[in-house]
Amino acid sequence: MSLLLEVVIKNGLLFDSLGILGIGLLGLAAIRLVRRSQSWGGNMMAFGAILLLFARLYTVLAPHFITEDFLAKIGPLGISLTIGLPPVLLTFGLAGIVWGLWGHERWLSEEIR
Amino acid sequence: MFYAMSFPPILVLGSIEAIRPVFLIVMGLFLMIIAWRLCQATTGWTARMIAAGALLLGLGYGLIVPMYHAGIIRPYMPNRPELGDVSTAMAWHAVKILTMNGGWLIFGIGVAMHAKLLGKPAPRRVLAPASRHNPPTPAPHVSPARSRH
Repeated sequence: MSLLLEVVIKNGLLFDSLGILGIGLLGLAAIRLVRRSQSWGGNMMAFGAILLLFARLYTVLAPHFITEDFLAKIGPLGISLTIGLPPVLLTFGLAGIVWGLWGHERWLSEEIR
Repeated sequence: MFYAMSFPPILVLGSIEAIRPVFLIVMGLFLMIIAWRLCQATTGWTARMIAAGALLLGLGYGLIVPMYHAGIIRPYMPNRPELGDVSTAMAWHAVKILTMNGGWLIFGIGVAMHAKLLGKPAPRRVLAPASRHNPPTPAPHVSPARSRH
């Protein structure tokens, strides 16, 4: 196994945290855009970033706290939620970010014109 | 297998399992287009970071994640080596980790630079113009000795 591959695979958690950091920065930047310039796309971008942040945090943390006992405690409805909710959050989060970015880009081009 | 055989292919394309990869591809492409348009309004390192992040995310969402969904790439499972070639799965896993996380990090930094998040903080509220002409009278100095009754 090459060294680079080994570093990447072993430090998966580090890289995941960097990605989560990036999404957090995106959310903060979106909130800043809303407060500074009343760009409506920023609201949607912040909403999407928060959804995506929750889903990514869950995906990273889930292997550490989901055990057989935990699954037995939350019941069938909880198990369905753990299976169904993260893809929904990821999907709507990405859609929110892209929609918000589109709105901000339109607002920016109108502002420049 | 049964569904794939009993429905024409266009309906399979519209099923729930197939919609998510298509949605991801559309979102990845759309993100790249919007980021390119956003770059025209910005200059310098901000534009470069946004473009680089959007390209990585477009590659990840437009190509790699749909390939996982389509079953072309097998997911990396170190505990179950019987599922397929482990080294190939590991290489794709590394590519996915680098692409998605690096893309979000670089794109986030780019948008943060665009929003001037990383510079000095903006003033929270603008002072009213009247306050410049009529400065508030300073509070009368009350010495602690006098205020003690």
